[in-house]
Amino acid sequence: MKVCHLYPELLNLYGDRGNVMAFARRCRWRGLGVEVLPVNPGDPVDFREVDFLFLGGGSDREQNLIARDLEKRRDLLQAAVEDGLVVLAICGGYQLLGRYYRTLEGRVIPGLGLLDLYTEAGRKRMIGNVVIELEIEGEPVRVVGFENHAGRTFLGPQVSPLGRVLVGCGNNGEDGTEGARCRNVFCSYLHGPLLPKNPRLVDYLISLALARRGLPADLAPLDDSLENAAAEVMLRRLLK
Amino acid sequence: MVFRLRLITAIFVARAVMWLVRLLGRGRGSSLPGMVALRICPGILAHLARQARRGVVMVTGTNGKTTTNNMVARIAGEAGYRVVVNAEGANMITGITTAFLRKASLWGRVDCDYALLEVDEATFPRVTRQVRPDLVVVTNFFRDQLDRYGELDTTVSLIREALEKLPGTGLVLNADDPLVASLAAAAGGEVLYYGLGEHRRVTSSSSAAREGRFCPRCGQELAYAYYQYSQLGNYRCPGCGFSRPPAGVEGTEVLPEERRTTCRLRSPAGDYELVIPVPGLYNLYNGLAAFTAGLVLGVEPRVITRALAGYTPATGRMERFRYREKPVLLNLVKNPTGFNEGLGTLLSLPGPVDVLIAINDNDADGRDISWLWDVDFEVLEEEHRHVNLLVCTGQRGAEMAVRLKYAGVPLEKIVVEEMSRAVERVLNGPGKTACLLATYTALWPVERILSGYARRENRVESLPSVS
Repeated sequence: MKVCHLYPELLNLYGDRGNVMAFARRCRWRGLGVEVLPVNPGDPVDFREVDFLFLGGGSDREQNLIARDLEKRRDLLQAAVEDGLVVLAICGGYQLLGRYYRTLEGRVIPGLGLLDLYTEAGRKRMIGNVVIELEIEGEPVRVVGFENHAGRTFLGPQVSPLGRVLVGCGNNGEDGTEGARCRNVFCSYLHGPLLPKNPRLVDYLISLALARRGLPADLAPLDDSLENAAAEVMLRRLLK
Repeated sequence: MVFRLRLITAIFVARAVMWLVRLLGRGRGSSLPGMVALRICPGILAHLARQARRGVVMVTGTNGKTTTNNMVARIAGEAGYRVVVNAEGANMITGITTAFLRKASLWGRVDCDYALLEVDEATFPRVTRQVRPDLVVVTNFFRDQLDRYGELDTTVSLIREALEKLPGTGLVLNADDPLVASLAAAAGGEVLYYGLGEHRRVTSSSSAAREGRFCPRCGQELAYAYYQYSQLGNYRCPGCGFSRPPAGVEGTEVLPEERRTTCRLRSPAGDYELVIPVPGLYNLYNGLAAFTAGLVLGVEPRVITRALAGYTPATGRMERFRYREKPVLLNLVKNPTGFNEGLGTLLSLPGPVDVLIAINDNDADGRDISWLWDVDFEVLEEEHRHVNLLVCTGQRGAEMAVRLKYAGVPLEKIVVEEMSRAVERVLNGPGKTACLLATYTALWPVERILSGYARRENRVESLPSVS
């Protein structure tokens, strides 16, 4: 498995590197070899060879630095996404994959345009613990995390939300949606980081990546009692 | 006249609150009296602080505020000055007001030479609007409790803008932190830098969780000759030439030991040997900051070094206990940089070590605990033989356990327990030493349970002689 961590030195807010750790560890625990490739601006990378691509969020300055670099890789990334590349983009990375970001002053910053969604700056930051419900292979799964964003994202008709908000604000605090999904691209505002205490979601991403290579996607079960206990603490607190 | 009436009422009511808090034994009452007094008489802080005869010193920055401020207080005490000090880390405007109220007479008179105040970064602009500092010490800027402060850049700008409104205020700045050093021109007063020179422990590569490595002036990535830890080191901007300023007070020949840290010290007042009776490079930085502040206050260097050698840490700042024959260390953790340093200290203790990690997510801890994933717990995978047991507790203990699992710590060494059971377990574990790490609001309950079993041991006499 080739895991590509895009801009780990620049987009590294809120412990998001934990998502890469979770993906890599859960592969290794099942005997799948994993190679993590940190990719910084200017580094060469062939997205066709990548099995899982992670894009986190950063502060404004860092995000501007990487936007220029990512723009150059746009076409290759789009081709890989159409080929079924599994992507997880969080917060700033999520916004960047969309069509544009409109600042409070009305300035429009174009995104990569890979996904049919846009973001508008809001006056009030949405900060707090979140519970969402999403569907994995037909089963409802509750996922916990922490959001911290001022951007309000709205989805176009070509993408579906990742899940439905049970507690928290989600995409925009209005329509009850959280995150986005299109092909094998998963986007979310949830830090925490998202994957480690939501093992069902990690395993789903791993099996999608295996299936893309035509490999058997049945994963050996792992002992997830610590992960589930950590999620349970928050579910009990937030759902009462 | 109306002001006097409000003032006296405020002091009277605050006294009653202090007395009630003590009677009910609830909390330490380090901020409630101030909160009440400010409600009754909003001008009370400015009025009380003005009475400091020789001036007001403020310490701000991310890590080391409490320790540095307590060290400065010890220096001033050793020099014979009377001081007002917020020694318990109550560093918001209410806690600072409480510190003055404790020393105020019923008529609102404060008899002190210096007010020594540790001030929370986000509160700094608000406090300095009411109290004008004569000297400001800035320790460092790291990422901390992001859901409260926003991003690091915002914090630095907050302090910069507040300093710009204080022309003539003197500054003591950490030369090794580019974010701190960039504040030099903000106040326009005299600036004295402290820092560490090159020594055996410096590295040419950087650890994770660095954020301040872009030039604070022009935004380019800084080039480093070496790092002390995090973004602290010898830096230069290839773009605009901004670089580490020469440190007037500089530590060299650093000798980290299990129980203390020493170095040679070069200063405008001569060369000295500095002994800080607490472990950790970051405590040496706190000592250098306090030494420099002491010089600015006009204290004799010999008096300063003597005061620092006798420093005893505040609750949870590398506090030492002993349980039966087992040495126990208690330390506050609140951000990745501090936690990484804490892990470094843990691994330098005689092993195997029984470890407790208590994580709460109340407002004062930061409600977002994702920063735990920016801490390099992976060192515990490589060094797991040095650790006997890792007991996770607190409101988010379960999640702490997940973090350790994904760091590669063997599962049989990870335990999640309720707090009193957790403390008992590490004390009675088979390890040679115990190390307890707790976030802010978990620190007090852990300390209370711990002091029920173990003997506090921070007396300087208990230190081994120089070897």
